[in-house]
Amino acid sequence: MVSYIKSNTMKTKCIHNDLIFYLDNELSVEKRAAVEKHLAQCTDCRSFLAFLQDGMQIIEKEKNQEVSPFFYTRLSARLEEKQVYPTQSQWVRLAQPAFFSLVLLAGIYGGLKLGSNASSPKANQQTPSSVQILNDFAAEPIESFLLDEL
Amino acid sequence: MDEAQLINGIQQGDRKSFQILVETYQRMVVNTCLGIVHNKADAEDLAQDVFLEIFRTAENFRGDAKLSTWLYRIATNRSLNLIRNNKRKRFFQSIEETFAGGRNKSSEISENRGDQPDRNITDQQRSDLLHRAIDRLPEKQRIAFTLNKYEELPYQQIAEVMEISLASVESLIHRAKKNLQEQLLDCYKKKCV
Repeated sequence: MVSYIKSNTMKTKCIHNDLIFYLDNELSVEKRAAVEKHLAQCTDCRSFLAFLQDGMQIIEKEKNQEVSPFFYTRLSARLEEKQVYPTQSQWVRLAQPAFFSLVLLAGIYGGLKLGSNASSPKANQQTPSSVQILNDFAAEPIESFLLDEL
Repeated sequence: MDEAQLINGIQQGDRKSFQILVETYQRMVVNTCLGIVHNKADAEDLAQDVFLEIFRTAENFRGDAKLSTWLYRIATNRSLNLIRNNKRKRFFQSIEETFAGGRNKSSEISENRGDQPDRNITDQQRSDLLHRAIDRLPEKQRIAFTLNKYEELPYQQIAEVMEISLASVESLIHRAKKNLQEQLLDCYKKKCV
């Protein structure tokens, strides 16, 4: 910092980088004096300081916001909701997967049962007749069908 | 009623204690959230989430830190989460817009106002500019800066809230100010407002 002041660059070069700290009163006494001296001579730095000051004043305006008068009323309503719904949602959370698991198990069991019926000898015996009933092509060849059409 | 009694009451589900706590700290919590999210409605919603979390997890409060420190910590975390979620949403929206052939309307600092002869800008424009500059700060710098500027917290308490050393807080705030100044200087040079 001392070298900064000694080098006398402040007289010629803009000091934009120090201005936020100048505004916040965070510069040493010597540096502050040097900045003030420079500001007295430099229009651009003065203009930027004003720009910066305007921006920072926004924070001052914003930080004293009044909270909505219904803040606690709304919060209280949400608290009631949270206290009521967890018990319901907990039931739903437990019952839903249990129900779907049962449906799935029933489906698998049903499928296995059907499969075992189909592969049993009794079912095998029934197969030819049922195929015969369903298979029209076997009963009526395509050639005769086409001839009938003509 | 002191802090310990309040927390004790809340731990036992006492709604009166909770109401006292809310009424005592609501402004502080809303302002902290507002300093980060820059939207009053969002800040109030976040503050409500903070108090609900306090009510739900009061039994975890061991009293090692001040109640306000705990509140600040939850408020800053929740605010940052909201910002992250919003960023994610905006990212997906921008992808949608790109595929839909629309123009990306991301909030960039406008740089095309050089034709304005004077700098007679409204508070809203100034406020938008400052918010965008704060939003571009890295998260830790933003939190330290917000707690210091909006809440006027001493560095020591910021260190407790952020669970970092005092030196780190000093460094974060210094860098935050430098970054902010750079952004504002850039905007000033380009006459963006």
